[in-house]
Amino acid sequence: MKNILNLVTIAVVSLMLLNGCSDNKLRALIVTGPDGSGNTAKSALQKILENSGKFNVEIAESPAEGQDMSIYSPDFTSFDVVVLDYIGEKWPSETRERFVKYVKDGGGVLVFGESAYAFPDWDEYGRLIGIGGNRDNSAAPYMYLNGNGEIMTYESINDTVNATTAVHDFVIQVTGSGGPVFEGMNHRWLHLADVLHSDLKLLSDSVTVLAMAYANRKSGGNGKNMPVMAENVFGKGRVFSVFIGCLKEGASPAALQDAGLILAVQRGAEWAATGQVTQQLPEDLPNIAAAFVLPNYKFYSLNDLFVNAKNYEYGKPEKFLYLISNRIRKAKGNKQKLAVFEDKILEVMQSDDATIECKNYLCRDLSSIGTEKSIPVLEKLKENEKTADMARFALERIKSSLNK
Amino acid sequence: MSKSKLSRRSFLKRGAAVTAGASLFPTVVPASVLGLNGAVPPSDRIVMGLVGSGGMGNYDMKQFLQKKETRVVAACDVDNRRLISTKARIDKHYGNNDARIYKDFIDFFDNEKLDAVILALPDHWHSIIAVTAANKGLDIYGEKPLSRTIKEGRAIVDAVQKNNVIWQTGSWQRSVPNFKRAAELVRNGVLGKITHVEVGLPDGRQSIGTPPVKPVPEGVDWDLWLGPAPKVPFRGVLHFNWRWILDYSGGQLTDWAGHHVDIAHWGLGFDDKSPVKIKGKGIYPVNGIYNVPVEYLIEAEYENGLPMTIANARYFVDKRRNGLWPKVGAQNYGMGPVWFGENGWIQVNRSGLWASDPELLKVPEEELKIKLYDSKDHWQNFLDCIKTRKKTITPVETAHNSISVALTGEIAMMTEQELLWDRKTETFTNSDYANRLLSRPFREPWRIPEI
Repeated sequence: MKNILNLVTIAVVSLMLLNGCSDNKLRALIVTGPDGSGNTAKSALQKILENSGKFNVEIAESPAEGQDMSIYSPDFTSFDVVVLDYIGEKWPSETRERFVKYVKDGGGVLVFGESAYAFPDWDEYGRLIGIGGNRDNSAAPYMYLNGNGEIMTYESINDTVNATTAVHDFVIQVTGSGGPVFEGMNHRWLHLADVLHSDLKLLSDSVTVLAMAYANRKSGGNGKNMPVMAENVFGKGRVFSVFIGCLKEGASPAALQDAGLILAVQRGAEWAATGQVTQQLPEDLPNIAAAFVLPNYKFYSLNDLFVNAKNYEYGKPEKFLYLISNRIRKAKGNKQKLAVFEDKILEVMQSDDATIECKNYLCRDLSSIGTEKSIPVLEKLKENEKTADMARFALERIKSSLNK
Repeated sequence: MSKSKLSRRSFLKRGAAVTAGASLFPTVVPASVLGLNGAVPPSDRIVMGLVGSGGMGNYDMKQFLQKKETRVVAACDVDNRRLISTKARIDKHYGNNDARIYKDFIDFFDNEKLDAVILALPDHWHSIIAVTAANKGLDIYGEKPLSRTIKEGRAIVDAVQKNNVIWQTGSWQRSVPNFKRAAELVRNGVLGKITHVEVGLPDGRQSIGTPPVKPVPEGVDWDLWLGPAPKVPFRGVLHFNWRWILDYSGGQLTDWAGHHVDIAHWGLGFDDKSPVKIKGKGIYPVNGIYNVPVEYLIEAEYENGLPMTIANARYFVDKRRNGLWPKVGAQNYGMGPVWFGENGWIQVNRSGLWASDPELLKVPEEELKIKLYDSKDHWQNFLDCIKTRKKTITPVETAHNSISVALTGEIAMMTEQELLWDRKTETFTNSDYANRLLSRPFREPWRIPEI
């Protein structure tokens, strides 16, 4: 027994050594302002990055407005990626210089939301982010994208155009191949309750737009495709920018809870840190058909889906049921995989705390994948007036298939 | 037209939920029509009724009202509001108050002495009512798609054939010169050997989210509207928008395959051919009451190895952007069939007819040896065939064949498998899982009537 304990101890210790104190995770630093400073995404960004399982996250809050900024000097070089959620005062010059050097030497940066509007008179920052706003003095041109996702520029902005749209839902369209960040994702998805910027400028020739959205005039846009995600190189460093997720007053947190935005941040941060994306895509992906919102910034396990599906009632989100159906489709007829779903569904069917609506919905899926073992459970549901119709629905298909 | 009266028992005891005898106005003896100025004597007029008085039903009815040889006498719908407006339309046309209206199709078929009927219903109702009408010996103008599932489509074909009634499908594009010309050119080998076919159909509707349960609008019999479909509470989706819910429809794919896949087949001479292999990928909503795929890509292969790609238009627009699809005019948003052959391509849709080389479109009609069925007026063609007892331009077998591509493609999307299709038995030979989806169990007491 003692030997076994020793072995276990050795195993644990060696694992710790192998992973180092950082668990082999990438180190991310969120550079942001204090609460109430308008940098509202920091806790969401922290959760998003941590939930990827890929990052350890620290936060470096700047002093509150009016306080001594000269002491603000995060140690950028201890991190693999610096996440900017910052729209506050200008940093001290020494801090700015160290940040530029960090990036030039190969450091990663994720520019989030209004950070693309920060530091209006710091030109090098502009070149570093590649696309940004609030740079009235800059000679750089305004920009948008044509239908093919190519960058177009123009010199002056029409006075009647608003800088930002109203809060509205829009479709995000990946341009070109989308690169490693968007590989395997649907190249169009619906994004909820957010704003697009009409006044972005092109600040570097090396920037590539990876995703765009149409800023329709009805919502106060300029009637053009505007960038929502981009990548840039600066020295040896990589910069990934997300121009949406600006939580203006009245905006819905759904903007930050969009599964597509979450994936872009998680994967974009890894790309900025390392130049590649090793994170596996989740089973459930956002698409254009309907918004996919993750209130806890976390994708679902199969168990999560069934636990939540049990509470379904008409008029409540269908999400968990639909995701189950989607996953069943993705099993591509594989019997072992379908058997797992059948077991899970039968568990729900026999559970007292699952709603009638949930059971009735799942009868549709069970009808196509159910085997003999579903029959007794369905026969029992048939005895209940409220589930009888749908139990018959499933039984009819299953039995006709077994009779062949 | 003396077929036995429909037995109410053929639908079992339908219980108190569906009230018997739901016609809103007392049945009256048909008014004399002698006073009309039509050239056709009343006794020779084709007496018609309408089941499903929504957008398409009223559109079709309008076409028939305008024909001298018809007399539209009755309409049936589960929504009183629509019945009242439809009756007003009919009565206004004839200048009387004679149109009879029914909420329950069983009463409608039992009481009306019709020659022909227009069916324009949500897809989940097609088979029951079409078979009922055919069993009554009525000639049928039936809206596309023929059916919600393969097995229901087969039942309609059998009922039409066995009862020897005339069937016209609402696939009216075949009666439009543009489409006929395209199909005839392709069929006569203008493109040489066809290498592949691509068919663009509309993009799907975006989500409306998750509406709450709502009161059923007054005058709507919701339970009867659902009929054979699973019982769910009313949540505001009724006319027109039922098409975005899988219990009632397959979405744009099954709505439009009956148009553009139908035309693609026509050009190929494939009205009696089906894909032997089919696979598909659909983008299904992750939330919301609408659950049909909004983007879809179906790749079929016919027995001679000919591939056909069917997708929502956006797919082809993207392809064109990348230089992989014909670039022909702004109006042509990825819609319609494109036949690709050794000599180039031809594309047709409702905005026009295009070819890789305009010369391809100039081949004189006299030089085209194979003549396709000629109809200049889809509704007139139906009436003509009622008189001649010949097949219409889009008979039931063709409708079934055309929609089967979409319905098997839909199953391929639902199973994400490459499926092998046996046209003879109308089953998949490699997936029990897929075969289960060839029909949808009906809610009791509904069933397809015996044929």
